[in-house]
Amino acid sequence: MDISHDKLLWMYKTMRSIRAFEDQLHTDFAAGKIPGFVHLYAGEEAVATGVCANLTDSDFITSTHRGHGHCIAKGVDINEMMAEIHGKATGSCKGKGGSMHIADVNKGMLGANGIVGGGPPLACGAGLTAKLKGTDQVTVCFFGDGASNQGTTMEGLNLAGVWKLPVVFVCENNGYAETTSPQYSVSGQDIAARARGFGMPSAAVDGLDVFAIYEAIREAVSRARRGDGPTFIEAQTYRYYGHFEGDTIKYRDKDEEEQYRSRDCLQRFRGVVLEQELLTQAELDAIDAEVKKTIAEAVAFADSSPMPDTKDILADVYVSFPEKEMWPFQAVPA
Amino acid sequence: MITVGIIANPASGKDIRRLVAHGSVFDNDEKVSIVRRVLLGLEAVGVERVWIMPDSFGIGLKALHTLKLEIEVSLLDMRRTFSQEDSRLAAQQMVENGARCLVTLGGDGTNRIVAKASRDVPLMPISTGTNNVFPNMIEASIAGLATGLVACGYAGEAVRHAPQIDVIQPEASHNGRQPEVSDIALVDAAVYAERFIASRAIWDASKIRDVVLTRAEPGNIGLSSIGGHLLGGNYQPDQGVYLKVEPGNHGTRVVAPIGPGLIRAVNVTDHRLLSPGDEVVINHSEPCVLALDGEREIQIKPGSPLRLRLNANGPQVIDAHKAIELAAKAGFFIQPPQEGPD
Repeated sequence: MDISHDKLLWMYKTMRSIRAFEDQLHTDFAAGKIPGFVHLYAGEEAVATGVCANLTDSDFITSTHRGHGHCIAKGVDINEMMAEIHGKATGSCKGKGGSMHIADVNKGMLGANGIVGGGPPLACGAGLTAKLKGTDQVTVCFFGDGASNQGTTMEGLNLAGVWKLPVVFVCENNGYAETTSPQYSVSGQDIAARARGFGMPSAAVDGLDVFAIYEAIREAVSRARRGDGPTFIEAQTYRYYGHFEGDTIKYRDKDEEEQYRSRDCLQRFRGVVLEQELLTQAELDAIDAEVKKTIAEAVAFADSSPMPDTKDILADVYVSFPEKEMWPFQAVPA
Repeated sequence: MITVGIIANPASGKDIRRLVAHGSVFDNDEKVSIVRRVLLGLEAVGVERVWIMPDSFGIGLKALHTLKLEIEVSLLDMRRTFSQEDSRLAAQQMVENGARCLVTLGGDGTNRIVAKASRDVPLMPISTGTNNVFPNMIEASIAGLATGLVACGYAGEAVRHAPQIDVIQPEASHNGRQPEVSDIALVDAAVYAERFIASRAIWDASKIRDVVLTRAEPGNIGLSSIGGHLLGGNYQPDQGVYLKVEPGNHGTRVVAPIGPGLIRAVNVTDHRLLSPGDEVVINHSEPCVLALDGEREIQIKPGSPLRLRLNANGPQVIDAHKAIELAAKAGFFIQPPQEGPD
């Protein structure tokens, strides 16, 4: 598996950016600077990064309520993300979406989603579009262990399986659906094996190792691009913070968290690339410094940005439907 | 108390070979069912206590749900790491606390981890993995009965030592001492021309280099099949095999199932039989990893040699059919006539 020098740098910068972004929000939320809820992705960086390292801007992703990492890995502007989370007019969605609705269609980021299990049907729609248009675009559907129990997820898996859609389902099993372990909430208790019931190959992968995710998704994306249909990956990962900021995390013990933190994706990445002399300490340190500056600038950008104007409250809420040529079978108005 | 441990790996049977090959998904509900059948077999022959390794999927918990047993069964109270290391820690704790046998549910990789800590406590390996040579495709009730017979002292002759490969890294020596065994393999150790450990499994025949096998029976799957197909069984039971494999078209082209559905030709440019104690020195100029029992485990730096040694005294393993045969010959399964009218 050859990974170019530039891609290795991108992987580290992306993971470091997600971590720094989330750590900043953790601090700022506690200080009362953030309106609304935030669900932080810290700890899970290897998944979004390893997945999106296989995608281009023309590919699509659907995301979750814990979507900041997906956005950053797909290339959404960090300043605009920070402004969106602060509810400012310069945000990705002009400050009207907030943390759980960041979207950037130009980057193929079809939106974070406050509905648990909301992504799979959207991913099938994007996948069907690519299939009907005959493009080689792939859609990756991120969802969690909690969403794996949702009817919409089952329906999405079924549709993708029946129509052989170019969709990769990535279940980020971070150990808890809000506060509940899959041990108590997932019947059968085996998320990866569920996909076999929908006729698609599935595998469980170490979600704390960006190289493992990259390798598995590379195969899944290749399958999708060559028309072999959907694939299901269970990325076994862990979130460092609570379900939401303010969560007192009484449902897991410190020892468990420390065990997972000892396999931190950033530290493992540094260990591998330094041991193999693929990147230098200086290169990694430079990225750390650059990311620190980027996040500080994003906070400053958000702080200095204006609030949305109330007169724009209904702008961009509904699309204007085309009167014709929306669907091949749509009747043309007389 | 006559005690047996059960270690069921929740991660076995679900790796990337479901994508890059045609491996079956072995779901954890089936493992639950297997654990139940093992427990019933153990109870039937007189085992008094069973410890089950706890896991994040709750295989043990679910196995015990609604199952009526007279014997004492509990989840092992252990420190957990939420990784494959849990299997080794569980084995170590079970052995230290007097388990007489360990039943494992997994593939070659799972058994390799358990064997690192099993010492002389016999293993009953039940196959739930991908490329399985070490564990048996055996009905779990039979495995439970056989394990119970050995634990209760009725079938000690059904236990034998399996061979293993000792991995010796000179860099692992400390303070001038002799280098120690840093890892083991039960079936195969192979140099794989890949820089990253990543998703662990190996499937690309063009990347296989040196291979050391503890066994090469015809009919095996995985890297062991290369030796099996090359030698056709022409080696002694206690011998291992070294294969030098190189890309290209020279050497002897051997067609073998290196993974599920992956029937590939590899070029064996050299081979020799190994006797217990023989060593193979591995030294490559390109970045490689050492795969142990089919999983990439150790990064090999160019120019850093390591040694692979055939060791005849690997883990103790139960021959289930022999255990049943021994007990049957001793009349163990024959009950006295029931009293009372016909």
